[in-house]
Amino acid sequence: MTNASTASTASATATTLPERSRTAADRAGTGTPGTGERRTGRPPQRERQGAAWVFLSPWVLGASVLTLLPMAVSLYLSFTDYNLFDPPSWIGLRNYVQMFTEDPRMLRSVGNTLLYVVIAVPLQLALALGTAVALKSMKRGRNFYRSAFYAPSLLGASMSVALVWRAIFNDGGTVDNLLSGVGVHIGGWVNHPGWALLAVALLTVWQFGAPMVIFLAGLQQIPRDMYEAASVDGAGRWRKFISITLPMLSPVLFFNLVLQTIQSFQVFTPAFAVSSGRGGPADSTLFYTLYLYERGFTASHMGYASAMAWVLLVAIALVTAVLFRTSRSWVFYANEGDR
Amino acid sequence: MPAPRTRSSCAAAVALALCATLAGCGGGASASDDGKVTLRFTWWGNTDRATRTNKAVEAFEQANPDIDIQTSYSTYDSYKQKLATQAAGSDVPDLIQLDYRQISQYAGSNVMLDLAEQRKTLRTGEMDPRLLRTGQVGGAQYALPMGVGTQAVAYDKTAWRKAGVKPPQPGWSWQDWVKALRKVKQDRGSYAMTDPGAAEDQFEIWLRGQGKQLYGKDGQVAFSAADLARWWTFTSKLRKEGLVSPATDTTQMSGSVEDTPMGRKKSIAEFNWDAPSAGYEAMYGDRLAIAPTPSGEDGTPGQYYKPSMLLGISANSEHPREAAQFIDFFLNSDKAADILGVDRGTPVNGKQRSRVLSEVTGFQKQVAELQESMRGKLKDPPAAPPRGDNGLQSTFQRDYDQVSFEKLSPREAAEDFLTEARAELRP
Repeated sequence: MTNASTASTASATATTLPERSRTAADRAGTGTPGTGERRTGRPPQRERQGAAWVFLSPWVLGASVLTLLPMAVSLYLSFTDYNLFDPPSWIGLRNYVQMFTEDPRMLRSVGNTLLYVVIAVPLQLALALGTAVALKSMKRGRNFYRSAFYAPSLLGASMSVALVWRAIFNDGGTVDNLLSGVGVHIGGWVNHPGWALLAVALLTVWQFGAPMVIFLAGLQQIPRDMYEAASVDGAGRWRKFISITLPMLSPVLFFNLVLQTIQSFQVFTPAFAVSSGRGGPADSTLFYTLYLYERGFTASHMGYASAMAWVLLVAIALVTAVLFRTSRSWVFYANEGDR
Repeated sequence: MPAPRTRSSCAAAVALALCATLAGCGGGASASDDGKVTLRFTWWGNTDRATRTNKAVEAFEQANPDIDIQTSYSTYDSYKQKLATQAAGSDVPDLIQLDYRQISQYAGSNVMLDLAEQRKTLRTGEMDPRLLRTGQVGGAQYALPMGVGTQAVAYDKTAWRKAGVKPPQPGWSWQDWVKALRKVKQDRGSYAMTDPGAAEDQFEIWLRGQGKQLYGKDGQVAFSAADLARWWTFTSKLRKEGLVSPATDTTQMSGSVEDTPMGRKKSIAEFNWDAPSAGYEAMYGDRLAIAPTPSGEDGTPGQYYKPSMLLGISANSEHPREAAQFIDFFLNSDKAADILGVDRGTPVNGKQRSRVLSEVTGFQKQVAELQESMRGKLKDPPAAPPRGDNGLQSTFQRDYDQVSFEKLSPREAAEDFLTEARAELRP
């Protein structure tokens, strides 16, 4: 999957990268304005800029050949009818129009994806936050548990774990046996239209380690005297969590929320593995990316798949923009008080 | 970080890095230093086929020490996707296995070499001209059939006999089939057969039994929504009666024997192609048997002899002569025929066919007997499916999912399928 997916993966980097690339450019190009001029014998600025480009060239080459170029091609293909075999033929906006007017499965895939995001992201963040708070107050073994909970985040995106997941939630799998043991007979979750999506969502929730580590770091930044003052005022645990931890942690919470939302919109591997690549049973795990893949690689409509990728990019950008907008009313930055 | 001392040193560093990248991109040249010709050969199939194929490839390499063949294989679904992507990038392996459903697309888009160019190396004199036609598009021969297959019912004969049901005979009807399922179910207490509703191949057999076709001469769909709705109503009735597998079991089928209800030992009979049914041997051993598929009520047979797979040469191949040499060995030589048996169906080369059929043992013998028993009784195979048909098998399965999970009625799902099929086949 080259063209189709680059657009969507690029969107994830688009929101996180600008900061980094700007500082990189500062450092490389105009980065050392003071020091350079004071010292003598250093080459003039223009020449140093040239050197910067030479050093940047591997990245620039990689980014343009492997990311920007495919993105441009994918944008072009999205306006064409292209079946991989014959040269693409220009059809204007027809792919985009068709997507919203005559493709019920595309709308179903949007519904599935939204449902998944709404289930998986809050559950995952709640679990991550809960575990982080519990770990913070631990006296011994914190490092061990931190690593143990983080491990799934390293493994979770792989195909093999998704396949294991499928086996666990299949007929006669662990979950089926455990539930049958207490008298609940659902059978394999992955074969039921009502349960399959939940099985996939749980795989994402299980990877709560990455946001947990970030929460843990955030928790350690909260000044201890705040809690002490609250204790003096007679605040209980819950009160402290609501009035101190949550507001002080809100920037970190926001960061995690944006990151996980973007990732969840692009979920692919678990759904692909759990449903044998078809989004089944009965289209219940047909996520947007899975449908995109199917249109492109099974049905050979690469133009349509490219158009879908660009719609996803715009949709994720919009959702992120909305999140940023709402953040003004609930994210609290500690230095705001100084201003 | 200390600043680089000279510009040349940093330029050298970059040059080094670039060299490393470029080296990674290189390769793919097909003639190696020692003058050996390297060919790439790719197919789909299970490990049993891979073992046999690789053995035949080794035999060829021994006979032709200056040719080296690199092989690769995968399951059908991923094979289709990979090959299509390679075709788009003009990186198709020299020797490729194609399905009847792919030939129109690949030959029509100049991916395949016209085999007439290699006529001297590649002999087709012993092959049945009617079968050779299945590898032709627009009058040119783009691929050769590697074997002949037909649809079958694979079943556990012990369980079948225990229920007191006669083994299926040639010419048995769909009504006989339902009666047999009822008896087996009574005996077993659970469903007898895998729900055939999800497979377009089975629908085609049923349709042909009524004298109809999937596709007309114009390359368009030749059946109506009513036909399909009747098939799905029929299978749904069986499913509700508990004679065939429920939706939750049927939905797991993904093209490999291991994922089917029969492969998972939940049912004891299943429709499949004859040679690939060898995959059940691992689970059923000697109990495995195959039989003809049911005929229409007036005795019209629905199944047909189909080129099970086609073998062709990529138009981009740098060594078409060596590739043709390999195909000639693979399809015409005694040695290859002995190794391959009827794994890809019965041989197309008449001489090898009679030799192999009299020699095979075990399950392969059953395949040979099944085909011999129906000789001269089946109707002509349909013309190669039109371009655009490629993805319709999965559409069919998906739409039946909607029926079996009772999200759509058979009629609604049939309308959905035809709408998509017509859009895909748009000329």
